[in-house]
Amino acid sequence: MSDVELDPVIHSQARLRVVAALAQFHRGDAIAFTKLQEVLGMTAGNLSTHLRKLEEAGYVDITKSFHGRSPVTHLSLTSRGRLAFEEYAAAVTKILGGSS
Amino acid sequence: MTHSPDTPSSAPEPDDLTPLDAEDATLDVEAALGIISAQRAAVRDTVEPDTRLLFATWGLAWLVGNLLLFVTARESTMLTPAGWSFAIYYVLLAVAVAVTIVHTVQRSRGVVGPSGRSGAMFGWAWTISFVGVFLTMTGLMEAGASPQVINLGWSALSCLLVGILYLAGGAMWQSTVLYALGGWIVVVAGASTLAGLPGSFLVMALAGGGGLLVGALASHVREYRRA
Repeated sequence: MSDVELDPVIHSQARLRVVAALAQFHRGDAIAFTKLQEVLGMTAGNLSTHLRKLEEAGYVDITKSFHGRSPVTHLSLTSRGRLAFEEYAAAVTKILGGSS
Repeated sequence: MTHSPDTPSSAPEPDDLTPLDAEDATLDVEAALGIISAQRAAVRDTVEPDTRLLFATWGLAWLVGNLLLFVTARESTMLTPAGWSFAIYYVLLAVAVAVTIVHTVQRSRGVVGPSGRSGAMFGWAWTISFVGVFLTMTGLMEAGASPQVINLGWSALSCLLVGILYLAGGAMWQSTVLYALGGWIVVVAGASTLAGLPGSFLVMALAGGGGLLVGALASHVREYRRA
């Protein structure tokens, strides 16, 4: 069909959703875990699993801090992650444009 | 929307990408593009304030409140609205302020960084500006302005401020609807003052409140087309 390579880390239903959602925020913004969960409608366990994989790939930055006494996890796309998503989106668009 | 089968809490993690992604083998590019635009909408719906709700709330408060002021002012020999109509107007405005604060705080909760800061600065701009209006009007009252001038002044300055802040918000968030509405409200502020009492209240009700309701409708149509 095409020789365009799709990034295997992003080319997964769940992780694409996570990365696409994070890419909507401005560079430098970080989103609370619970807020991202609300956006995506994923279970905490499922979301954590995929976030760990994205962190291992260097696409997502995970910071843990304390808000009063309760721990809060904030997430953001790294520059590398943002670039990977943009390239992925461009590749997908190119494939669809080329195959029609 | 399909989720990977998962066990929350502390299930052992599969180390390679395969087991969790069994369902993803079938993810085709068309579906991928659909997922990307769906997430764009999901983030918007969870994080950005719903302008339809805000415009409709303020539109109704302005429309109903100013209509009451107009009707009671027309019946008064001094062209001054009745005290009870002012009371209702202020209650309506207080409700609109409460709805705005609760809604925007709820939507912006959980996002930290530059856009959260811009949002907070924009929120404070309202408070700071209204303090300025309050002080200006107090000064004019002390300088001996007539009740007519005071009535026109409160209305026009508050309205002007809302319009200018909408213009600023529209520029900041690249929102054409917000910007257009801001421009319209600025013009309404001037027009209502030119109309004089009690017509100013009617201009504020129909053009101001009505304009906001048209804005709510325009937002709704945009939202509907996006979906």
